[in-house]
Amino acid sequence: MTFANFKYLARLLAELGVLLGLYLLGGQLVAWFGWPIPGGVMGLALLLVLFALGWLQPAALQRGAGMLMAEMLLFFIPALMSLLDYGALLRNDGWRILLVIAVSTLLVMVVTAFTVEWVCRRSLRHES
Amino acid sequence: MSLEPMPLFWLALTLLAYLGSRWLYRRTGRYLLSPLILVPAVLLAIAVPLHTAYAEYSRDTHWLMAVLGPVTVAFAIPIWQQRRLLARHWKALCLGMLMGSTASIASSWVLARLLALDSSVSLSLLPRSITTPFAMPLAQQLGGVPELTAVFVMFTGVLGAVFGGVLLRYLPLRTPLARGALFGVGAHGAGVSRAREVGGEEGSVAGLVMVLTGLLNLFAAPLLTMAL
Repeated sequence: MTFANFKYLARLLAELGVLLGLYLLGGQLVAWFGWPIPGGVMGLALLLVLFALGWLQPAALQRGAGMLMAEMLLFFIPALMSLLDYGALLRNDGWRILLVIAVSTLLVMVVTAFTVEWVCRRSLRHES
Repeated sequence: MSLEPMPLFWLALTLLAYLGSRWLYRRTGRYLLSPLILVPAVLLAIAVPLHTAYAEYSRDTHWLMAVLGPVTVAFAIPIWQQRRLLARHWKALCLGMLMGSTASIASSWVLARLLALDSSVSLSLLPRSITTPFAMPLAQQLGGVPELTAVFVMFTGVLGAVFGGVLLRYLPLRTPLARGALFGVGAHGAGVSRAREVGGEEGSVAGLVMVLTGLLNLFAAPLLTMAL
């Protein structure tokens, strides 16, 4: 391994370590306060505070955060394999479940897009 | 079962299938070869004939899901980077997310009841339009099955990325804001990658809205549990 490679790897691990540390700290904090939110969300809030205070730049976490988000699929594939235990459910109710997902997804998209478009056009008209 | 796979067999297979599918998808760009579809398909094609139970599969691989926690923390970056966009258009985006999330939860619930789906399935369907790292803890809070929710989230992403492209062709949407929000609220991660192909601004809006919608849903969870 070359020195540049080693430096890159060390940097990546350090960034992942910061994200992991914030996640664990967030988990501790919500447990102390007894708040009904996941530790990761508290960690997200802490990271936003660090950015706002200027103690940390987003660029400083670019490699680690970029890797986590780019490979996010890998991290939830194990949950998808729960299908192994739900064969009967899918055979019996699969089409109904898909129907709910399809209709509801279309509805969400139309409602969201028209709401945003409507508010935008309204504010444009008020400006002009 | 008769066939006892080596320790870490499923982990190795998962990683291999993931890397292979990512490589194939990058080379060909074919949607059916994307890891979201191909990896579960390959793994199921091997696990089902072997009569593998989920517990057995997840013994090797469950720690991969633990990484979703730090992923949530990393979501602070798109929020911070797009804070000017959010400051300028917060009214449109917040209202859009609120209406979209309400439509998602209400329509899932009503449709699931109409089609007489089991209540644990119905509850697991409620968070399906938000990104997995938020959807799984939300399912837990609502009394659904987080793993089942992850499956529904995947179906939503696969369908939503296709539907979104079709809707853009027929809906009279003039602002990139509306086009991006459509993907971010409706189809989370899969929608964000599709929105990036539509345009740079659409992609940024979708990424921001995806994270904020997840947060909004999580904070609304106590209200939702009261209502149910």
